[in-house]
Amino acid sequence: MFKTKTVFSRIAENIDWLFWISLIFLVSIGCLAIYSASLNYDNPMKFIITQTAALTIGLIGIIFLASFNYQYYKHFSSLIYAFSCILLISVLVFGTTVRATKGWFNFGFFSFQPVEVTKIMLILVLAAFLDNHWKEIQKLSVFCKALCITGGHLFLIMLQPDFSSTLSYFPVTLILLYVTGARLRHILSIILYGSLAMGIPLLVTFFKLQQNLLKSNKLISFFVNATTDLQSAAIILGSIILLVFLIKWFLNKLRIHVGIVYPVIFLLIIITGSFSSVIVDKSLKEYQRKRLIVFLNPSIDSRGAGYNIIQSKIAIGSGKIVGKGFFKGTQTQLGFLPEQRTDFIFSVIGEEGGYLFSQLTILFYFFFVWRALIIAQHARDRYGSLVATGIATMFAFYGIINIGMVMGLMPVTGLPLLLLSYGGSSMLSSMIAVGILMSIHLRRFNEY
Amino acid sequence: MSWNNDDKSTYNSFIDKYKNILVMFFILFSFLSLKLFYLQVIRGSFYRNVSEHQRLNTTHERASRGIVYDSKGKIIIGNDSNYVALFYPFEQQYMPSEDTIEQLNRILKRDIKPFIDKGWRYGRVVKIADNLTLEEVFKIQEKKLFLPGITVVKEPKRIYFNSVENAPVTGYVGEVRADELETLETDGYKAGDFIGRGGIEQSYDRYLRGIDGGLDLEVNAKGQHQKAFSYRAPKIGNSVYLTIDDDIQKVAYEALTKTTTGKGAAVVIDVRTGAVKALVSCPSYDTNKVFTGEYRKYLKDKKLPLFNRAIQALYPPGSTFKIITFIAAMEYLHLNPEHTEECNGKFELGDRVYACSSKAGHGRINLIRAMTVSCNVYFYQLGLDLGIRALVKWAKTFYLGEATGIDIPSEKKGFVPTPEWKKARMKMIWLKGDTVIFAIGQGALWVTPLQMAATMTAVANKGIYFKPYIVEKVIDAENNNILYKHSPETKAKIIARDDVWKQLNKALTNVVEKGTAVRTKLKNIKIAAKTGTAQNPHGEDHAWVVAYAPADNPEIALAVIVENGGSGGVISVPVAREIFKQYFNISDSGEEPAKKMTNRTRQITGKGNTNVQN
Repeated sequence: MFKTKTVFSRIAENIDWLFWISLIFLVSIGCLAIYSASLNYDNPMKFIITQTAALTIGLIGIIFLASFNYQYYKHFSSLIYAFSCILLISVLVFGTTVRATKGWFNFGFFSFQPVEVTKIMLILVLAAFLDNHWKEIQKLSVFCKALCITGGHLFLIMLQPDFSSTLSYFPVTLILLYVTGARLRHILSIILYGSLAMGIPLLVTFFKLQQNLLKSNKLISFFVNATTDLQSAAIILGSIILLVFLIKWFLNKLRIHVGIVYPVIFLLIIITGSFSSVIVDKSLKEYQRKRLIVFLNPSIDSRGAGYNIIQSKIAIGSGKIVGKGFFKGTQTQLGFLPEQRTDFIFSVIGEEGGYLFSQLTILFYFFFVWRALIIAQHARDRYGSLVATGIATMFAFYGIINIGMVMGLMPVTGLPLLLLSYGGSSMLSSMIAVGILMSIHLRRFNEY
Repeated sequence: MSWNNDDKSTYNSFIDKYKNILVMFFILFSFLSLKLFYLQVIRGSFYRNVSEHQRLNTTHERASRGIVYDSKGKIIIGNDSNYVALFYPFEQQYMPSEDTIEQLNRILKRDIKPFIDKGWRYGRVVKIADNLTLEEVFKIQEKKLFLPGITVVKEPKRIYFNSVENAPVTGYVGEVRADELETLETDGYKAGDFIGRGGIEQSYDRYLRGIDGGLDLEVNAKGQHQKAFSYRAPKIGNSVYLTIDDDIQKVAYEALTKTTTGKGAAVVIDVRTGAVKALVSCPSYDTNKVFTGEYRKYLKDKKLPLFNRAIQALYPPGSTFKIITFIAAMEYLHLNPEHTEECNGKFELGDRVYACSSKAGHGRINLIRAMTVSCNVYFYQLGLDLGIRALVKWAKTFYLGEATGIDIPSEKKGFVPTPEWKKARMKMIWLKGDTVIFAIGQGALWVTPLQMAATMTAVANKGIYFKPYIVEKVIDAENNNILYKHSPETKAKIIARDDVWKQLNKALTNVVEKGTAVRTKLKNIKIAAKTGTAQNPHGEDHAWVVAYAPADNPEIALAVIVENGGSGGVISVPVAREIFKQYFNISDSGEEPAKKMTNRTRQITGKGNTNVQN
């Protein structure tokens, strides 16, 4: 498979300039921001050296993976899945604990986070499964099987527990199911179920932080009560059931006939979702729930969970149009901005580079995702398209969740900004993803 | 067209979905861009401000307030220093932790309570403990590691000399209250600043306030100082020179405390300029102890020590008002001072009888004599002849019912009743009886001691009414530039014939020589005075005396009142006498008129003689 000469000439001929310019811009501005964010440490070069090392290894990886035919992944998909599960299990056994999460292999001079690799492996495996079963995807059983593949990973990751890393799994799985042709109502049911299970405990936490509101607003306090009091929960669920059947009866009157199955399924989802919320509520710690919801109004806990968001918004906003100049941001250099090299790297760019650079970053991030989707569109087979879509979705959601988070639009989840944030594992996995994309891109024409 | 093995239609359905995804991503990224635009372009200035606020920590070095001197150059208000423990906020710690406070309590043996400052903003420093001793300062410095965020700084502290006597003039300083901050912030006051409360500390606050120095420090998130910008040395407030004579203050206050009730006021004014030489209210409070437990005692004290009687208390002027009636009668009615009236001890008007100061009556007497012995009957008649309109006009000519405009705050206006007021307020018509008691300074006529002293100034000046003032000049402490200098301000020239003033002077001198104020008498100094025993529906009579001296070439005028003191001639006159002695530097009383004249004075001003029946 190693026809090096042809590979290089192909790359030169078929290079997607916008894709590479975006990639180079994102990586460079990321390095600049990391350097700026490390100036206050004894050895400011340390982080930038680690990052460049990961980048260099990643570039070699890109060349290696680009020359490797991606179609082979499909044939070894069960092996890949097994290997990824072993990785996730062994990290539970041998891993080291960082910030209450057992998710790292520590090799002394460097440490490695397996979940960064398994998330790409899952895309390869899920794409293979969907490629094999695309004709039956509308069947609920196949749909559920696909969910189970993701579910296996999610379960193992939640044992660490690493809640934030699971976040990208949901959109990737749902979008892959969508492009394969799964029924929209299946997907919507999952989304409804998920948002109920997640949303209820978070909203309750949010309202509990605002005792004044609870006292003044009887309705909200009734709903909050319902999470612990079975009686009021029954009243709420009962009234929802009544409402749904009322709507169905009304639609019948209008001669719009809806099968009895739909309202029943709808109600089942609501009920199971509501009850699953209890499990979610138990599995998340109080501070995690606070962190996830406080973005709605960071000032209610400005010295606790809301502190990071407030400081990040101050950092970004204070950059104004042209920024305070690189290495001159007061929020960054004086340490007001938390986690500046990793999760809040975008805020560093916002503060020091201003609107100019941060808008450019968003723009190039979008270009990068867009070109990745173009690769999916031009892939030679369904498998290639699915893998490329999965990777594009992963990048897109990491970007949206992270940038949304630092601007106070999304929960504080601790998801890094791929390609920009400091971190060897995530940089490596991004490069692996780029390498696979290249492999698909280079083999887009049937004749190769 | 890709996908060699699949048919075209499945591929096309794929492509449609890709497009949907792309559109979804585009919308999501556009949202991010919009929010970015909002944060950085629309709200940029706001966030820039916030980030500057939390980066810069301004450490203030409080400036001392200006020094206040009396008319002889003696310091009345000076400055001392005081060590205070402050808390500088750092990282996510906006208040000292309970642990820190517990440590502090252990060191200082105090009981500081943990607290939450609701109005907290970035960079606000909180004062934790006040008045630390040097020993405590060292202990805190030793334990600094266990007291994160706590710093000890030296702050100037105000000290007052003769603090009790001078309290009505000086006022005191207190920290700016949170509710005042909103309006004062524009004038540059910040939390923890001091502001004058009462007296010249309040009215000359603008001059007395120094300009705080300090240092802008750049702090990091942990509250550690990174960089310091230029240091500004604090600038002491301007020096204020008063017209007050500290010695007269002391003498007057002492004399007042020795009176029967120990409640009263005295005001001494230099007749040549309107400069207030003394302004005393008794009992008073210690301005050095206002922020200690004493203050509660002051508030509870039934003698009201916090009440500045010299400018805030309202009393009926009583017989001292006869001076104005005298002038009005001579000037307005062209009354011949030799005109006589028969006094048989009472004055009948309709079905009512108004008594004279002497039950037996003074017999047939002229105006001068009536003034000397304070004959009510003579003045009742004058009141009837003048009528209420003329009396009100003349009372107002001397600015009764109107603030004198002295340069300390909270001065009361007093009140001059009119027929219109009585009708509106009490739904009753003005009676002649009201007029006759008006003529002897009773009824609803209310004046402050300061107003009477100012009236006396005008009398001494033959009609020139100076606005009384306390601050002579304000001088920049650093370069001796004169920032403010008072120039005597004539409020009015009261027009009366020379003869009027001459006769009045004669009458008032007689009052001292052989009349009701005989106890004022001093060797070498000729004094003009008028006593008053003001009826008071709530209790004992108020004892008044108003005077000026030397009678031929007046230098100072004064008004003394002893609240519920009884007879003016007996109770207030000794106070006036002490003041004159101090001013004219007469060591010995010269003669002891008090002893010699006791019996006679009793006859003239004895209690129970002044009853006025309504």
